[in-house]
Amino acid sequence: MTATLFSPNTLLLDKHADYIAAYGSKKDDYEYTLSEYLRMSGIYWGLTVMDLMGQLSRMNREEIIEFIKSCQHDCGGISASTGHDPHLLYTLRLAILYTELIILCGTFLPVLYISIQVDPFHTLFGVAGLSLLGDEQIKPVNPVFCMPEDVLQRIGLQPDLLN
Amino acid sequence: MHGRVKVKSTAQQEEEKRKEREKKLKAFVSARDAVLRKRSAGEHDEEALQLTQQLLSSNPDFATLWNYRREVLLQLETSREKDEVQKLYESELHFIEACLKVNPKSYGCWHHRSWVNTRLPQPDWTRELGLCDRCLSLDERNFHCWDYRRVVVKESGVSVEQELQFTDRLIGSNFSNYSSWHYRSTLLPQLHPQPAPDSASNTSPSPTASPQIHSHRVCEEQLLKAEREEMISCVYVSRERERVSVAFSKPVHAQSEGLMLVLDGQPQQVEWRSTHPRLRHSPVWLCDLPPGSVSDISNEHNLTVHWTEKYTHRDCALYTGCAESWCRDSATDQELFRSELSVEKSSVLQAELQSCNQLLELEPQNKWCLLTIILLMRALDPLGHEKETLAHFQTLKEVDPMRSSYYSDLCSKFLIENTILKMEYAEVRVFSLSNKNLTTLCHLDQLLLVTHINLSSNQLLRLPPQFAMLQCLEVLEADDNAIESLEGLYHLPKLEEVSLRNNQICKLSDLESLASCTKLTRLDLRGNPVHKTANIDSELSQLLPLVTALSL
Repeated sequence: MTATLFSPNTLLLDKHADYIAAYGSKKDDYEYTLSEYLRMSGIYWGLTVMDLMGQLSRMNREEIIEFIKSCQHDCGGISASTGHDPHLLYTLRLAILYTELIILCGTFLPVLYISIQVDPFHTLFGVAGLSLLGDEQIKPVNPVFCMPEDVLQRIGLQPDLLN
Repeated sequence: MHGRVKVKSTAQQEEEKRKEREKKLKAFVSARDAVLRKRSAGEHDEEALQLTQQLLSSNPDFATLWNYRREVLLQLETSREKDEVQKLYESELHFIEACLKVNPKSYGCWHHRSWVNTRLPQPDWTRELGLCDRCLSLDERNFHCWDYRRVVVKESGVSVEQELQFTDRLIGSNFSNYSSWHYRSTLLPQLHPQPAPDSASNTSPSPTASPQIHSHRVCEEQLLKAEREEMISCVYVSRERERVSVAFSKPVHAQSEGLMLVLDGQPQQVEWRSTHPRLRHSPVWLCDLPPGSVSDISNEHNLTVHWTEKYTHRDCALYTGCAESWCRDSATDQELFRSELSVEKSSVLQAELQSCNQLLELEPQNKWCLLTIILLMRALDPLGHEKETLAHFQTLKEVDPMRSSYYSDLCSKFLIENTILKMEYAEVRVFSLSNKNLTTLCHLDQLLLVTHINLSSNQLLRLPPQFAMLQCLEVLEADDNAIESLEGLYHLPKLEEVSLRNNQICKLSDLESLASCTKLTRLDLRGNPVHKTANIDSELSQLLPLVTALSL
């Protein structure tokens, strides 16, 4: 996006927070419905950003927790949405959320569901997920950057809270 | 009025758009609900195929639908003849191609296509290769397609020469096609285990950007090592501790490798354990011998460790009057750190080094060039080129500061390798690498026999769990670093003296693992923040009662 004379030059945090808080309330929105296949990722993105902006309380905790519970499968995997199949990617999303933001009521199955897609993308998510679930052989991973903590420490990268 | 085109107002257009989307949404939702309903009911029929097709055509990333589709196809297979199955999956391939047009980078599509080819009675690999060609001509960095291409090439036995020509074409049309270069670098070693000299100077590169990238790639091709032979690198026996330490050529999980210990012809019941609880896959494993079995120093013993999974073993003789014994291949013999170079390879690399050096004179700040020179020198003569290598690393860190940590770590690795080689040549068990800007430790499995180690005046942040592999260590000097964690100082049976002056040990808990080193008597912690802890003297004497000489 190129800046124009009329682009804002400050970060409009309140508007962003408003947008995210309202997103998903219009359940009959076309794009919202079509992106159902990555809903869990959407929740992850929305919640982490609201937390960074200090506005997490505006999100509907009960509704989100109920939704996540409905996405848990017996094998330990998490799906993108209710009725979808479990997948490594969304299981990692949940592992990140579990660590940082919500305590789930009820049991959380600490079993990593392995997907059959062999590529660096899914391998990264698998290993990061295992790390967040406390696997001792894997270095601690920062849930925000999805990178090892020691690497972040060494390059001096610390997330700044926006207010 | 006649002849006048009716132009819809914006509001009207908006309303029509909205109605259109509402219609689309309704259709999507009803199809989706129908599909999920059918799936829960366990229905695997034509209708399921139709519904999923409808949804996936516009939404190919809906992964669950591909899963369902596979279930349906598998079910349909059971009631079809072979030629019908062929047709079924061929039309599936057409469908996938249509979906790829919507999103050429859909994980779901490519994965499904791979799967379909495993179900096709007669896959058509030529067509698949053609699809890859087309996709890559549209987007030469589509990694999904590259991955798929590799599968196709493997399954269909396309020749390496043919694939090399393919990369030639891509590189010829766009020199910065890194994907092609990378693929090329994996192909060349398959072509000639000892490549003919002209493969180093082949085609195109004349744009000024090219020579160093070209050299870099040649370098990578040539230096791609053959996998190290799987073997037991070292067996070490200590009479006093009645313990056997075994180092393998790669990390293993001892319990699943079929390890057998034979002492004087008798198989022994032993339990293998790792040097540190966090290392479940490790190159070094320990076991305790039955009490009294080797403790009498007047007896000679013969020990064999069998690695039954790999059909290999290593013997170690424990002689009369010797408190310890070991058996290993030297690092120099094993060509541990670099691949063995044939004369042809050597001369190719020398030629590359020469041209890179010439280029460096013209462009002294060229990072590609610098790194390639470093890699070439390491391949040819790591010890001989050590000084130059260090100088080049220094320049690299200055011209490419965003990667300075990477270069520091890589340089540390090379220095450690060189020191191991020097240690071998000198036949000593002392490892000394102080004041060398070390930022990381590696190859610690190669230091199993080391008794004295000096890592002072570096930039180390920790002694990681892998440090526990230094089972023979007696003296550790690591002053003037930034060490916060001593995790690796764990059950080191011979460790007597530790000097950690001027580091970053902050809490008493950072020192907990030292309590497991039962021979530790001298500990120097001066210049660490931990001395500010309340009652530190008494806390430490409680934690480490055996330490008699403590400096804070």
